[in-house]
Amino acid sequence: MRISLEDVWHVYSPGTAFETVALRGVSLSVEPGEVLGIVGGTGSGKSTLAAHLNLLLRPTSGRVLVDGRDALALRKSELRRRVGLVFQFPEQALFAPSVEEDVAFAPRQMGLGPEAVEERTAAALGVLGIAHLARRPTRALSGGEQRRAAIAGTLAMRPQVLVLDEPTAGLDPFSRRELLGVVRRLREEGTSVVLVSHDLDEVAEVSDRLCVMEGGAVRAEGTPEEVFYGELALAPTTVRVAARVRESAPGLGRPVSYDETLRSLRALIGG
Amino acid sequence: MAPGAGRGTGQFYPADSPLHALDPRAKILAVAALVVGLFLVDSVAGFLAVGAALLCLVQVSRVPPSTFLRLLRPVAVIVAFTALFQVAFVREGEVVFGLWVFQAHSEGLRLAAHLALRILLLVAAAALLTATTPPLSLSDGIEDLLSPLKRFRFPAHEIAMMMTIALRFIPTLHEEARKIIMAQAARGADFTEGGLIQRVRALVPVLVPLTVGAFRRADELAEAMESRGYRGGEGRTRYRELSFRGRDATALCIAVLIPVGGILL
Ligand SMILES: Nc1ncnc2c1ncn2[C@@H]1O[C@H](COP(=O)(O)OP(=O)(O)OP(=O)(O)O)[C@@H](O)[C@H]1O
Ligand SMILES: [Mg+2]
Repeated sequence: MRISLEDVWHVYSPGTAFETVALRGVSLSVEPGEVLGIVGGTGSGKSTLAAHLNLLLRPTSGRVLVDGRDALALRKSELRRRVGLVFQFPEQALFAPSVEEDVAFAPRQMGLGPEAVEERTAAALGVLGIAHLARRPTRALSGGEQRRAAIAGTLAMRPQVLVLDEPTAGLDPFSRRELLGVVRRLREEGTSVVLVSHDLDEVAEVSDRLCVMEGGAVRAEGTPEEVFYGELALAPTTVRVAARVRESAPGLGRPVSYDETLRSLRALIGG
Repeated sequence: MAPGAGRGTGQFYPADSPLHALDPRAKILAVAALVVGLFLVDSVAGFLAVGAALLCLVQVSRVPPSTFLRLLRPVAVIVAFTALFQVAFVREGEVVFGLWVFQAHSEGLRLAAHLALRILLLVAAAALLTATTPPLSLSDGIEDLLSPLKRFRFPAHEIAMMMTIALRFIPTLHEEARKIIMAQAARGADFTEGGLIQRVRALVPVLVPLTVGAFRRADELAEAMESRGYRGGEGRTRYRELSFRGRDATALCIAVLIPVGGILL
């Protein structure tokens, strides 16, 4: 499925002293099967944008389209199921006594039978690599394990688009890599992923397309290569190094991720 | 935004007004005087006079009247119910009008009007206090006013500190509840459909994490306070000292005169 935002504005607490314009005319689309990275500073509107993708927040003005149709016309439950949204620090919303039951919450809400619920729960736990924790109490997990349990809870809905708001924030480098592995795997299986992140290296590694937010508006958009080489100030350190090397060695190409950069540099030295 | 600025809770409203500048103790005493006075006022004209005076104070406070209306709306519902009750069940005085099996007696109408005006004015006065006084000053003021009781081992400081912390965390809890509700809604939770039991059950996924979060926060806060040397009220000094000046005394006198005017009318 394809989600597009058309000139979306969002104002929090309109008409009060705390009025905040969080989105200022954002137009953007999430294409079927792609990984879309969303980066930007604190308060740039990333989370607000993410919550518009399944209309948990409604645009103050502008439209959200799903496959070309106004998303407001879709049933709420249908939209929430097809667009799975995982908030920042989702582990704070774990509530069931065991991991298994928490992950089963969403499929149960969908009205599935016990076997289907069980099957989806097991599958989601498997994708996140925490099948062995199924019967553990949610409170007896480490932070990283809780994070994965919470993501599994949304994945169990089998959404066509999975929106992850800073899924790696506060995780150790090892858990980060694993989570990025999950993103790649979902993409291979045909799920679109929207990855909101502060970490340029990690979005560079998995994203097909990037959107840079600033002050509630889209500052830049395109493939990581276009965005990073278009404006080096937005690029991660590896890309900035590659760009400097390229000045004297144009043969380097325009690598984006760490692995690509390493490969290009090796080829340069070796050849 | 500064934490605790009360986003969405409609409490303290930062502004630069003479009321904001007053000593919190003067404002607390003024509200206390108003409360006592309002119970002595005994005519609709008197209530209206006090209401007019409060309206002037709202004007002076530079807090938008809509802030107060938002606070008064839920109270108005309760007030309307109690007033209706009075009208329906008080059987004194002559019958003014009848509706179905009920008859409105003059005494009932009078009592209902008094009750409604009294409660609304009390709430308005309290709202004016919290809108113009930052929570911290409010609890400093309360602690100070209660401090003579310390001699009798009354924990004035602890009570004020508890109040401060509670006030400080209202917006935080509010925000956290909002986040958790959104997170569960994203997982298909529905808070708007079904009967009463279903709706109560739908709240479990919100209340459990909210409670767990509140306890965690309380632990963290206690640790943070202790690690920075907090040990209760004994020998504790303040960052901002309160000072009761001429204008505070004047304000207090005015506040006492308002209900006195109302009583005489
Ligand atoms: N519930 C709310 N009420 C009022 N203002 C809000 C609310 N949520 C966010 N804002 C404001 O909207 C703006 C955008 O916030 P948002 O959470 O979308 O930013 P973000 O890019 O996700 O930031 P971060 O990287 O810190 O998560 C900020 O200025 C923020 O203060
Ligand atoms: Mg955010």
